Amino acid sequence: MRRFELVTPGSVDDCLSALKGRGVEVKVLAGGTDLIAQLKVGMLKVAAVVDLSGVAELRVLEGDARRGFRIGAAVTARTLERDAKLRAALPSLSESGALVGSIQIRNLATLGGNICNAAPSADMAPPLLALDAEAVIAGAGGRRRVPMASFFKGVRQTVLGPDELLVEFAVPATGPKSGGAYLRHTPRRELDIAVVGVASQVSLADGVCTKVRIALAAVAPVPVRATAAEQALEGQPLTSQAIARAADLAVEAARPISDQRGSAEFRRHLVRILTRRTLTIALERATA
Amino acid sequence: MTDAVATRDALRIVGQPVVRHDARDKVVAATAYAADWALPGMLHAAVLRSPYPSARIVRLETKRATAMAGVAVVLTAKDVPRNTLATDVPGQTTAVGPLRATLHVLAEDRVRHQGEPVALVAAETLELARDAVEAIEVEYEVTPGVFTPEAALAPGAPPVHGTGNLLAQWRIARGDVAKALAGANVVVEGEYTTQLVDAAYLEPESGVAWIDSDGVITIRLSTQVIEHFRDVAEVLQVPQNRVRVIGTYLGGGFGGKEDVTVEAYLGLLTLKTGRPVKMVWTRQESLLSRAKRHPYRLRYRTGANAHGEIVAQQIELLADAGAYAYLSALVLLYSTVTAAGPYRVPAVEVDARVAYTNNPPTSAMRGFGAMQTVFAYESQLDRVARALGMDPVAVRRVNALRRGDTLPVGQVIETHVAIPELCERAWAALGPPTAARAPHIKVGRGLACNFQPYGRIVWLHDWASAWVGFEMDGSLVIRCGCPDVGGGQASSLCQIAAEVLGVTLTRISVHVSDSALTPLAGTTTASRQLYMSGNAVLKTARELRAGLLGVAAAMLGGDADDLDMDEDRVVTRDGRTLAIAGLLAECARVGVPRSHLGVYHAPAGEPVDLATGSGKVFPDYTFGAHAAEVEVDTETGLVRVLGYAAAHDVGRAINPQSVEGQIQGGAVQGLGYGLMEEVVVENGINLTTSFATYLIPTAADVPDVRAVVVESGEGLGPFNARGIGEPPIGPPAAAIANAIEAATGARITRLPITAERVARALGLLD
Ligand SMILES: Cc1cc2nc3c(=O)[nH]c(=O)nc-3n(C[C@H](O)[C@H](O)[C@H](O)COP(=O)(O)OP(=O)(O)OC[C@H]3O[C@@H](n4cnc5c(N)ncnc54)[C@H](O)[C@@H]3O)c2cc1C
Repeated sequence: MRRFELVTPGSVDDCLSALKGRGVEVKVLAGGTDLIAQLKVGMLKVAAVVDLSGVAELRVLEGDARRGFRIGAAVTARTLERDAKLRAALPSLSESGALVGSIQIRNLATLGGNICNAAPSADMAPPLLALDAEAVIAGAGGRRRVPMASFFKGVRQTVLGPDELLVEFAVPATGPKSGGAYLRHTPRRELDIAVVGVASQVSLADGVCTKVRIALAAVAPVPVRATAAEQALEGQPLTSQAIARAADLAVEAARPISDQRGSAEFRRHLVRILTRRTLTIALERATA
Repeated sequence: MTDAVATRDALRIVGQPVVRHDARDKVVAATAYAADWALPGMLHAAVLRSPYPSARIVRLETKRATAMAGVAVVLTAKDVPRNTLATDVPGQTTAVGPLRATLHVLAEDRVRHQGEPVALVAAETLELARDAVEAIEVEYEVTPGVFTPEAALAPGAPPVHGTGNLLAQWRIARGDVAKALAGANVVVEGEYTTQLVDAAYLEPESGVAWIDSDGVITIRLSTQVIEHFRDVAEVLQVPQNRVRVIGTYLGGGFGGKEDVTVEAYLGLLTLKTGRPVKMVWTRQESLLSRAKRHPYRLRYRTGANAHGEIVAQQIELLADAGAYAYLSALVLLYSTVTAAGPYRVPAVEVDARVAYTNNPPTSAMRGFGAMQTVFAYESQLDRVARALGMDPVAVRRVNALRRGDTLPVGQVIETHVAIPELCERAWAALGPPTAARAPHIKVGRGLACNFQPYGRIVWLHDWASAWVGFEMDGSLVIRCGCPDVGGGQASSLCQIAAEVLGVTLTRISVHVSDSALTPLAGTTTASRQLYMSGNAVLKTARELRAGLLGVAAAMLGGDADDLDMDEDRVVTRDGRTLAIAGLLAECARVGVPRSHLGVYHAPAGEPVDLATGSGKVFPDYTFGAHAAEVEVDTETGLVRVLGYAAAHDVGRAINPQSVEGQIQGGAVQGLGYGLMEEVVVENGINLTTSFATYLIPTAADVPDVRAVVVESGEGLGPFNARGIGEPPIGPPAAAIANAIEAATGARITRLPITAERVARALGLLD
């Protein structure tokens, strides 16, 4: 790894001034579990690194199922896994955090880092999409909010400008009869990258599904929603036949590549299986 | 001398699960591994590697790199006094091209695989060395390559070397296979494919070299073979006694540190600069360029009679050597000899070939060619059993070799074969069956046996030596040139000496793995080190004991045969004792040596004509049986191992804890081979050069491996031990494949057994 200058700001504003005008030669560092690996193999070369560990605002975590949540960009995967309130209200996001890396990695890895790194396989992205979350972004001109569904622009590309900082995520209230789940397929139990990941969120009223969100990881350049499957379910009772039909439709949203982790065909197959399984669990949780 | 230590009951220290002297240091990170070494004024080295699998080097310009501040030297092939070392393999039955490089230091006019070293840099810092590597200018002209052994052997294939691409071929023909197959009740045909895998040790290749005050080029590195000091001397064209190799405790070897790794580079760089030099390969470099396990295509036709007895096997093996010969011809010999499995098979034909390609080179790796065959012969046997409605234990019991049987190659099995007992015990150790936890989950069990040679091929005339001596205070020193690769090699030597000489273990110091100061004991490979250096220490200690007890007998009166050595004393039958220090002082006075250098020669023989099945190839074999319980997700194809038991007859366990460690570690590595490990190479380009893409099992992926240690009391090692380093890696892949068929009816014939392959076999994908 090459030498770089380390900046240690204490506030969001300090961060912004450290980033200002330096373009791609400066990078922010949250947990460093993506960034350091990329610097080490020479995939990235930077002159300066801005360490976020001193910025308390980025670790905010507050809310509940009724009001929704504010989750700071530097909240760790381990916190998502263990925070009891969040686990109860947003199980899909908590589960995705619990799947990342190993305990050591989860103690460092942050939600913001996972999202800004913008890997197609990022585990924490599908739950945020399925929860209709918004990213709160700070820049020279103040703060803006971007829905997660339009945050990703391509493999490792996002709407963030080089001078901008992701501050937190706003997760809207899920409502009383709502449930979610995240599942992924990996060859290994731990320390592995999703071949396919699926998050589902289901809300019910009077025995029918009022709202459903299905989001997929690792089957397209960016995390995607399976909107056709969602539409087929909304307004319907969630029978196992309806879920199976939605699982078939979800496959259409996938545009996977074939690589050494799996063929496109296998990935499409997994989308079907994991969509069915996450919808089933989400339904159970919504009715519990 | 009296053989007071010959029977098991009489053993005091051998057979005890003693805590290894090196264990604590490793746990608290106090062990100085090869990369944990530094000397004043030390330079750091880096390697320029080829990005192409097959190309001509049109221009190689180092001026700019050499001129950079802080760069001490830049070396290319023309700076290497002797760039290529080659050997011949005696006993080739079929004429093939002469064996090419066993060591090729730097690329000359061509590169033959991606990652092939092209130039070396030594600089004041590692950062500078890497910068300088980037400043070397190379112009390549990409040339057509060959990327499968089939393509390599096709007419008109581009030759990887000047000769044809057939590197070696071995043949066995015993009995009338065609006739036996025609008369068989069942004939099972199968084609199996095994993959390229990496040793993936914790510790990448690393070392430090310096010119010592006596002018000797000294290289301290992570190696399984300190005898490579001779190869380094050849490369440098200096006398062999001007190069010294000090081997460190290893963070794993698995055969990957059997060939020369960093030592020739370090020798060159320190010789050219006169300064200490350090070279540590990154994980990426290691995964990219180090020799790996041969991928095989194995075709089997197996015939059996109505009792499930195998009557014939017709076997065709084809292996990928990658771009350089290394040990490929020998690896293939192991496959050839073991191809029919640890079974009585009256008619066998084996045709085995290994070809050069432009893939990463392949060479030694734990199991050494006797591993790929297990996947095939154990899958075949299970299919025979299934066709006849026999259970997995029964079919192995009826076929197992017995003492006195002759292998297809003509070698007579001289020791006990525990296969039936091992099968029963491994199978029973799985315990009550696990119930499937959901409707889409299926659970099944599989069994697989293997046999693995231990010790080197008899016509290599193997030997090992050791020095054992007392200090005046009665503490003991062992010197033995045995590298300790993490298996507890050094510690076992202490137990053996302690047993014979009655010394408390904590009063023993052991010095290993130094080509200048420890008597040479040969390589820690081929499951030979306990067998060889253990026998050397045993023999040496016994000879020393005889001399000492002669003096003791004179002091105590009576016969030396009536004396024993125990708890740092000499003890008489009637309970009188003589402190060891007193005995040693007397030895000094009367001029009897307190130390001894001994040499152990393994049983040797002449090269065998395989085709006529003329005799002995290996000293002996270690037998094993593994049982696995797996669950298969019948919707995704994902396989999880729920339970695992591994039984081996180790003859005698010198340190049962070390034996269990070898069995568990080997089984886990074998599970990785079976389920996930694969170096993916596309047209010669390695796509798996990090641990994010080259997947090895973590603790979460493997169950507790129940090690079943069987001690038949028969083996050629010290106290009748057999080698256990390699054997446990053999059976897991086949045990898993057999368990999957038991669970789902689907037969997997290609490794690794990924979820996608299972899904395909289950018909889930179109
Ligand atoms: C062994 C290992 C296992 C892993 N397993 C998984 C896994 O199972 N699933 C998974 O999805 N990922 C996994 N990862 C990847 C990684 O751990 C996650 O993506 C993690 O969440 C990244 O967070 P971080 O805080 O470490 O990010 P960093 O490495 O600190 O940052 C990542 C990127 O985001 C940018 N960034 C970070 N924070 C901000 C911000 N607030 N504003 C703007 N830009 C920002 C950085 O500049 C950088 O480009 C693994 C990584 C390793 C090393």
